[in-house]
Amino acid sequence: MESDELVIQPSSAEPIYRQIAQQLRRLIASGRLCAGDELPSVRDVAGRHAINPMTVSRAYGQLELEGLLERRRGKGMVVAPARGRAHSADRRLQQLLPLLEELSRQARELGLPADSVIEKWRALWEIEQ
Amino acid sequence: MNAVGADVAADSPDRVLSCRNIHKHFGIRKVLSNVSLSIPKGAVMGLVGRNGAGKSTLLRILVGLLMPEYGSASIWGESALHLTDASKVRLGYVPQKPESLNWMSVESMLDFLGSFYPRWDREYVWSSLMRWNISPAHRLDKLSPGERQRVALIRALASQPELLILDEPASALDPVARRDLLREIALRAGESGMTVLFSTHIVSDLERVASHVCFLYEGKVVLDTTMDDLKETHARLSVSRAAAVTLARPIPGEIARRRRPDGGLSIVITRPAQAGWPSAALSSDAVLEAMSLEDLFIELTDVPGAEWFAK
Repeated sequence: MESDELVIQPSSAEPIYRQIAQQLRRLIASGRLCAGDELPSVRDVAGRHAINPMTVSRAYGQLELEGLLERRRGKGMVVAPARGRAHSADRRLQQLLPLLEELSRQARELGLPADSVIEKWRALWEIEQ
Repeated sequence: MNAVGADVAADSPDRVLSCRNIHKHFGIRKVLSNVSLSIPKGAVMGLVGRNGAGKSTLLRILVGLLMPEYGSASIWGESALHLTDASKVRLGYVPQKPESLNWMSVESMLDFLGSFYPRWDREYVWSSLMRWNISPAHRLDKLSPGERQRVALIRALASQPELLILDEPASALDPVARRDLLREIALRAGESGMTVLFSTHIVSDLERVASHVCFLYEGKVVLDTTMDDLKETHARLSVSRAAAVTLARPIPGEIARRRRPDGGLSIVITRPAQAGWPSAALSSDAVLEAMSLEDLFIELTDVPGAEWFAK
């Protein structure tokens, strides 16, 4: 993967570390990044986009905690093996996180309490079943 | 989140630069009022304010070029007014309009000053002069303001300072040179732990590289926090005219409010990093929206008729 595949919008209301983390989660969930694929170095991403390296480290660190990335000696960050990822419900739920975060944000903006959103969602879910 | 919080940590050893309760007048005009700041090692702090907010005055006080009427500034624990030579060579400062040694040529000024710095990076000097198209033989006073500023930046960065203070560094730079400078600042801060404080009114520059943000408004610190927290913990609440009646008093976390022309309210609220928004913000009569740094800056500093609370 190359640094310029990441899209950084400094003036967005979303912090840059979140922008990076979200994009990587999506790339991994969609299979465009596969287990063992190398990520660009922190320096490379920071230099390409003229952003603070600590911001990039923070995004990588968060995905490492989530089990999506792992640190390889001599190679930097690579995408973690998918084993377990597809099996554990917890991990699969992780893939929905960006959508859930977006949903919460929009619900807040619309001034909708969580309960009413969940109720509506449950109704939809039951129709789909 | 505010200046008082920073004050507590002002003396801790990882603070590279700090000041407390700074007051400054020019004649009868009050320029700075009770300013306290503290910058940890490796931070890149953007000092944002409109023209005349007191940014340059504050920076001059912080590097010891100007004496405040009250309060004190220190760098690495030494008083800014009495820095030792050993500390001076670790400090880089670029004023908004660099003018010193203007009768020299670019090359002789850089050679002369370079001899004072133990870690002077000649290679950086030459590669930067080439990249930024500056002829070493030109006299400094014959350069354009943008070129003069670039030479001053090269001079400051070539000394490989541990603390770099820049007053409006981007004001005379074109977009390419500005991006170059931001990249250099970001990489040095992230990799060699250089601490940076720069003033600007160009908010987008700040958003790329800054880890910390301080808003200065009419000589007062109105916001002092980390960049990520700032975006995650501030929001704008728009309240309709009908609902505004029920919000006559400040709500929890409120830091600014403005009455909109339609009679509704626009309120800036903040929340603790780990907590949710106050319940008043989630009522069905109000719309809560995330804010960019520029939105927030405007809400906090363009406030004719605004009412101030909580400070």
